[in-house]
Amino acid sequence: MWWHNPLVNKEFRQRMRTARAPMVIVFYLLCMAVLTFFLLYENVQGQFSLLLPARSEQVFLIVSLLQMVVAAYLTPAFAATAVSGERERRTLAVLLTTPMSPFGILAGKVLSSSALLALLLVVTLPLYSLVFLFGGAVPQETLAVFGFQLFTIVVIAALSVAWSTIALRSGWSTVLSYATVATMTLATGGAGYGLRYVATRFPVDEFLPRWGNWLLQLNPLWVEARLENAVTGPERSWLVFIGVYTILCAALLMVARWRLRPRGLALLNKVVGNDERMS
Amino acid sequence: MIRTENLCKRYGRQLVVNQLNLTVRPGTVFGIVGENGAGKTTTLSMLVTLTAPTSGRAFVNGFEVAQDPVAVRRSVGYMPDSFGVFDDIRCMEYLQFYADCYRVPRPVARQRARELLAWVGLEDKQDAYVNALSRGMQQRLELARCLMHDPAVLVLDEPSSGLDPRSRLEMRAILLKLKDAGKTVLLSSHILHELVEVADELGFMRSGELQAVASVDVLRNHTSAYRTLQVVGEAPEHVWRHALAADGRVVEFRLRPGGAQVQYGGTTGQQAELLQRLVTAGVAVQQFYEEAVDVEALFLRLTASHDTSVEAAP
Ligand SMILES: Nc1ncnc2c1ncn2[C@@H]1O[C@H](COP(=O)(O)OP(=O)(O)OP(=O)(O)O)[C@@H](O)[C@H]1O
Ligand SMILES: [Mg+2]
Repeated sequence: MWWHNPLVNKEFRQRMRTARAPMVIVFYLLCMAVLTFFLLYENVQGQFSLLLPARSEQVFLIVSLLQMVVAAYLTPAFAATAVSGERERRTLAVLLTTPMSPFGILAGKVLSSSALLALLLVVTLPLYSLVFLFGGAVPQETLAVFGFQLFTIVVIAALSVAWSTIALRSGWSTVLSYATVATMTLATGGAGYGLRYVATRFPVDEFLPRWGNWLLQLNPLWVEARLENAVTGPERSWLVFIGVYTILCAALLMVARWRLRPRGLALLNKVVGNDERMS
Repeated sequence: MIRTENLCKRYGRQLVVNQLNLTVRPGTVFGIVGENGAGKTTTLSMLVTLTAPTSGRAFVNGFEVAQDPVAVRRSVGYMPDSFGVFDDIRCMEYLQFYADCYRVPRPVARQRARELLAWVGLEDKQDAYVNALSRGMQQRLELARCLMHDPAVLVLDEPSSGLDPRSRLEMRAILLKLKDAGKTVLLSSHILHELVEVADELGFMRSGELQAVASVDVLRNHTSAYRTLQVVGEAPEHVWRHALAADGRVVEFRLRPGGAQVQYGGTTGQQAELLQRLVTAGVAVQQFYEEAVDVEALFLRLTASHDTSVEAAP
C-alpha cells in the first residue's frame, strides 16, 4: 500500500516544505478561478440570470481542457528527475542497499510526484461545482473528467519516472519526458485530425478514419473532450486510452526496474557460466 | 561474518576484482588498504548487493549476496565513499525515513534515532536540516543512518575521507565504539595509519587482488621491534662507530654528516642507555629522537617479502 511506502511520505514532506509547492497551488487556483469567472461572465454579458446550460457547458470544456494541458506539461517537471536526480545527488546507492524493492522505489516516485498534481486537481473541484451549479455539467461527468485527469497525471508521472531511471541523466530524462507528453498531446492530435481530414477529402479508404480515430484515442485532450461529448468519435475511447497507456507504462517501468537493479544480468552470468574460473 | 570465495568482477575486459578470498570474523574490524583504483569500492559494493559479482561467491552474515540479497541488505549497513543527502529534510526525519525502509517499528525507530544521534555527537542537531550540516557532521549522521536497523555487519567505504584532522579523530573514536559494540566492520581506506588505529586485521589490495592479510598485532610487534632513532651531533666517525657498535640493541646504523640514523631493537626505556653511551664516548649530541613509525613502508616491506601468503591470526 502506498502509505507504507516511505518514499511517498518523505517526498511529500520535502515538497510541501519548500515555499514553491504551496505557491504553485495558490497561483494555479487563482488563475483558474479568474478564468472561470471571466468565461462565465463573458458568456452572459454580465447577466447571470441569462446563463444557458449549453453555454456553461462550453465553459466547463474550456476550463477542464486547459487544466489537462497544464497538468500534462507540469507533471514531468516533478517526475522527470525523480530517479536521475537521486542518482546525481548520490543518494540512490544507499536507497538500493535497503530492502526496498525496485518496484517499491519506482512506485514511491510515481505516487509522490503525482501527488502535488492531484492536489492541484482537488483544489479546483469547487470551481467545477460552480460550473455545474449553473447547469453546465452533471456531477457524474465532472467526476469522470476528474478521474480521467487523475489517471493521465499518473500515466505521465510513471512514464517520466521510467525515463528518469532509464536515461540516467536528468537532462536527457527531461527531454524524453517532454517529448513523450508532446507526442501524447500534439502529435497524436495533429496526426489524428490530419488523417480524418484526408479521409473526408478522399473518401476511398476505410482505414484512414480508423487510424485517425485510433491516434485520437491516444490523446488525453481528445479523450477528455469525448468524455464531455464535445467531439465525435468511437464510444468508450477512454477504455482504449487506459488500456494502451497501462501497457506502455508497465513495459517502460519493467525496463526501468531492470535499469535500477540489473539482476537479469547476474542470472545470465550464472547461466552462461563463469569465464574467469575456467580460464 | 563476511566471507568471499574467488570473488571476481569484470568490467568489460578489465578484471577489477580478481579471485578475492576474504574472511572477516564476527566482532572484528577488517581494513582494506589499497591505492586508487585497486578495487576496494567494487569489492565493498558487491558485498552490499549493489554490484553483481561476475563470478565467485560472497557471504554476509551467512547469506549469499546473489542468492539472498534482501537478507544481506537487512544484515548490513553500508556507507558509500561519496554520498549525498536529501534536501529539505531534518536529521530526525532522515533517520526515520531509512528506518521506514527497513520497516523498523516507529517507536523503536524514534528511540534509536535519538540514541544514535547522541552517539555520534549530533544530539543538538535533531531538527537541523541535513543539507545544512558540515561535511564531518553529515559523515557522522551517515554512520548513524547505517545503524538505524541495527545491522550485525557494517561496510564503510573510506569513512574518514574528506575530513579535517579533528573530524578524523572524532570519526576514529566512533569507529572504536562500534568495535566495542561488537559489530563486524569492514572498512576501506588508502591511508594505512588510519586503519592501524581501528582495525584488527588489514588486507592489502592491489589491482584487484588481495595481496596480503596481516593482523594489526603482528604489525605492531614489528614496528616496536624496529624503531628508527635519529641522532644529531658532532663527533669523529670512529667515535660514532665505536659507540654505536658497542650497543647490542642497535640492529643497524647509518652515518651521515652531522649525525646518524639508527635501527634500534630495544625499548623506549633502553634508549636512554644508548644516549648515555654516546655522550660518554664523546659525541656532542644535539638531538636524539625517535622517528615516527612509517607503518606504510613497514607494511609494504612485510607484504613484499611474504607476497601472497597470509600472515594473520587463524
Ligand atoms: N562502473 C564501472 N565501470 C567500469 N569500470 C569501473 C566501474 N567501477 C569501477 N571501475 C574500475 O574498476 C577499478 C577499481 O575501481 P574502484 O572504485 O573499486 O577502486 P577503489 O579501490 O575504490 O579506488 P579509490 O581509492 O579511488 O576509491 C578502476 O580501475 C575503475 O576504473
Ligand atoms: Mg573507492
